[in-house]
Amino acid sequence: MNNRNVVIIGGGPCGIEAAKTLAKLGHTAFLIEKEPHLGGHLAKWDRLFPYGQKADEVLNKITSGLENVKWFVDTQVTSINRIDKSYNVILGNGMSILADAVLLTTGFSLFPAEKKEEYGYGIYDRVITNADLEHYFAEGNDHRIQYPKKIGFVHCVGSRDEKAGNRQCSKVCCATAVKQACEIKEKFPNSTVYCFYMDLRMFGRNYEDMYLEAQKKYGIIFVRGRVSEVSEKQDGTLLIKAEDTLSGKPLRVSLDLLVLMAGMVQNSDTAKFAQMLSLNIPEDGFFQSKNYFTAPGVSSKKGVFYAGACTGPKTLPEAIAEGKSVALTIDEYLL
Amino acid sequence: MKERFASGYNDFVLPFMLSMIFILVYLLVAIIRVIIQLPPKDRKRYLLSLINPVILVKDIKDIICDVLLHVKIWKRKPLLGYMHSSIAFGWFMIILIGHIETFLYVPERAGLLYYPIFFRFFMMETNHTLQGALLFFLMDFFLLVILSGIALAMFKRIRSRALGMRRTTRTTLPDKIAMYALWAIFPLRLLAEGFTAGISGGSFLTKSVWLLFSNFLSNDYHILPTWWAYSIALGTFFFCLPFTRYMHIPTEIFFITLKNAGIKSWHPRKGYALAEIYSCSSCGMCIDACPMNAQKKNLKYSSVYFIRFLRRRNRRKMEEIADKCLQCGKCVAVCPVEVDSCRLKLLSRERHRDGKIKADYTYLQRVNTVEPAEKRPKVLYYAGCMSQLTPSIGKAMGSLLDKASVEWSPMDKDGGICCGRPLILSGRREEAQAMIQRNTELILASGADTLLVTCPICFKVFREEYNLPGIRVVHHSQYLNELVKSGALKVEKEDTRMVYHDPCELGRGCGIYEEPRELLSKVCELVPAGHERDESICCGGSVGSITLSHEERVHITDAAVEDLMTNHPQEIVTACPLCLKTFSPRSAKKVRDLAEVIDRCSTSPEK
Repeated sequence: MNNRNVVIIGGGPCGIEAAKTLAKLGHTAFLIEKEPHLGGHLAKWDRLFPYGQKADEVLNKITSGLENVKWFVDTQVTSINRIDKSYNVILGNGMSILADAVLLTTGFSLFPAEKKEEYGYGIYDRVITNADLEHYFAEGNDHRIQYPKKIGFVHCVGSRDEKAGNRQCSKVCCATAVKQACEIKEKFPNSTVYCFYMDLRMFGRNYEDMYLEAQKKYGIIFVRGRVSEVSEKQDGTLLIKAEDTLSGKPLRVSLDLLVLMAGMVQNSDTAKFAQMLSLNIPEDGFFQSKNYFTAPGVSSKKGVFYAGACTGPKTLPEAIAEGKSVALTIDEYLL
Repeated sequence: MKERFASGYNDFVLPFMLSMIFILVYLLVAIIRVIIQLPPKDRKRYLLSLINPVILVKDIKDIICDVLLHVKIWKRKPLLGYMHSSIAFGWFMIILIGHIETFLYVPERAGLLYYPIFFRFFMMETNHTLQGALLFFLMDFFLLVILSGIALAMFKRIRSRALGMRRTTRTTLPDKIAMYALWAIFPLRLLAEGFTAGISGGSFLTKSVWLLFSNFLSNDYHILPTWWAYSIALGTFFFCLPFTRYMHIPTEIFFITLKNAGIKSWHPRKGYALAEIYSCSSCGMCIDACPMNAQKKNLKYSSVYFIRFLRRRNRRKMEEIADKCLQCGKCVAVCPVEVDSCRLKLLSRERHRDGKIKADYTYLQRVNTVEPAEKRPKVLYYAGCMSQLTPSIGKAMGSLLDKASVEWSPMDKDGGICCGRPLILSGRREEAQAMIQRNTELILASGADTLLVTCPICFKVFREEYNLPGIRVVHHSQYLNELVKSGALKVEKEDTRMVYHDPCELGRGCGIYEEPRELLSKVCELVPAGHERDESICCGGSVGSITLSHEERVHITDAAVEDLMTNHPQEIVTACPLCLKTFSPRSAKKVRDLAEVIDRCSTSPEK
């Protein structure tokens, strides 16, 4: 077996897993990450649903065994040129790698919640996102969170929302919202917590249990209906208008904190890589696999592969599994 | 000059004469019909306008400028303007000079309609006079002008882009027949007059034709057939006229007198609307103007086709277009005839809205935003539904009013009532009345003397549908400009390149173009967009359209953003919350409301 070079772009859990597996299979894996550290969104999260495991524990486990991988952080990909059957990948640090295969594990970006202006993110002080809340859980301080008594979670912010430009469901926000609602209730036991949802998509094992626990143990109030607008009162508290579609009545609630469950959208760099590699991207902006069932990691260009959330919203276990499996696909291609 | 025939008549004039009688009777009946259809108030108004010297002068001026010279088309597309005015004005001059000739040389024939048209057939030149030569020269000159216009018209059919139109109208069969007849009339006239020039005399054009042809045409047998052909071409054109777009030529004159009398349409197909429909020349200027045409498949929704289906009473297609329309008003702005097709579409919606909606108005009385007497504000700020969805505007506006120490209070911060315009736009004018009434009560009871509005959609309806005596309705672009001018707000110039997007409802809807520009030029470097002011492109978010899907709107938004980016601004500024909300997700550059920009760049004068 020849030793071949594989460049993996995106050092999230999926990219790390793929790099490790490729290295084990005897290839030289180059893992490129633009951020100063590996781990992607996982590195910014505090705890994970459905069991509440600490994110850094999971990340430590994933990042162990990277000895055989050549990884670079704080590094951008400047250009990719095709030379015969291989790709010349030029990095921002001046290095250039002649790769036999390129794997895109660029993942997703969080929907910029300020684009849903009616929710007032960036305008009202007490409106935060799911990512902000995780940061607060991890670091323990955020000036916007001062002993809130009434807290609301808005599901599907920028997901399943044509006007926001995203029709897709982001898959993980329902479970994340339920998890975060329980966590914040634990933190502020005297608070009232509302969840405003369209549907609750508790599709995984034990997710439904988590939802039942949220109602029974934590007393989270689930309201089926979208929040229509948010306004700020003189004292800085928020007044939200929503509709309870189950009772068919309009609803107004005063809140001290509103958490927006920003969904997954295509990574902001997707278009850049699509242009470098002449890949077609459909309207939703995610990369399109050659076949959803039989070739999920294969692109339309020879030697270019995908894995993880760059082909659509994925949960963490899915992304990790895809990283591992695409390594085998690449190995077969390189034979 | 001497008459060639004692009878002063030849059979070849028949096609022309019959068609002329037909069209004159048709027009007379049509005009009477329109006048009868007018509501009594409008009818009285119209008849009075005909004896009002001020209006009459305006009528004559407009007829000369619009019908003959086509000044409006000249302003937008000079070559297209030349094409239209060369044919219209040239033709008019030929008819006029023909009548002058008849009057001068054979006054006894002056009453005959055909005589001035076929003057050179019936007259022969006995001796040269300077007067005759001048008239002959003028006739030939205007014939040449018309022929150049016809040549351009033919070229336009092949390459409309050369005349400044990306797309031109699909023609119907009667249109085609009339068009070819029109194209044939003047070359045939040239031939007929040219062949006759040996007898009747002629000038540089007709005489040259005669000189050219007399060398190989040895007898005069072809003279009469050519005059027949000329007369038949005229006859065909006039017989077809009522069934073609060329009906706009006579109708527009009548329409101008109606318009100047201050009448507006009240029914999509009767009275004034009928005159409007027949005044549409199908020129197709509205096709390029329509923002929906960012997608080629939407060409069929242009106003010109709406008018066409309205004229043919094709209710299904007409309603389809009426419901699709964004009501941005750009087609009305570019229309050389000023056909208010947006209003006609709205009237059509009102007429064809089936069934009443069961609305529950009981909540209206529960809304009470009137402040207690001691807190009565001078300025009442109505944000409207759209500004509620874009809280940055309301927040910036509040901050600005406080900085300028204005005594103000919000009218709908804690739940207000819709201004009613979305209902009106969907053809539910009646249903909107309950809201208009309650809002009026609240505004009048507030004790304020100024109603400040940040949404142009609301602004337009407050101005046009509300009766608010003693209260000034003002848009924030105007109000902020006044605050800055009077020194109540101090602004500082930023080093940012910005482009201003004219919201349809504020610009074309209310005629406000200057104030926001004046204001912005004080705080930033304002760069022009590709299309500005009354040519500005709708953002695509308009509440005017009932059936346009989100996917279709996205194409419009992208086209509008691209146009705004023409001069590479760093930020887009607009003065409408709906434009802001529509542009934001589709624009790479930050989109802001005027209030946000001014809030960022201003300070209170005391500090």
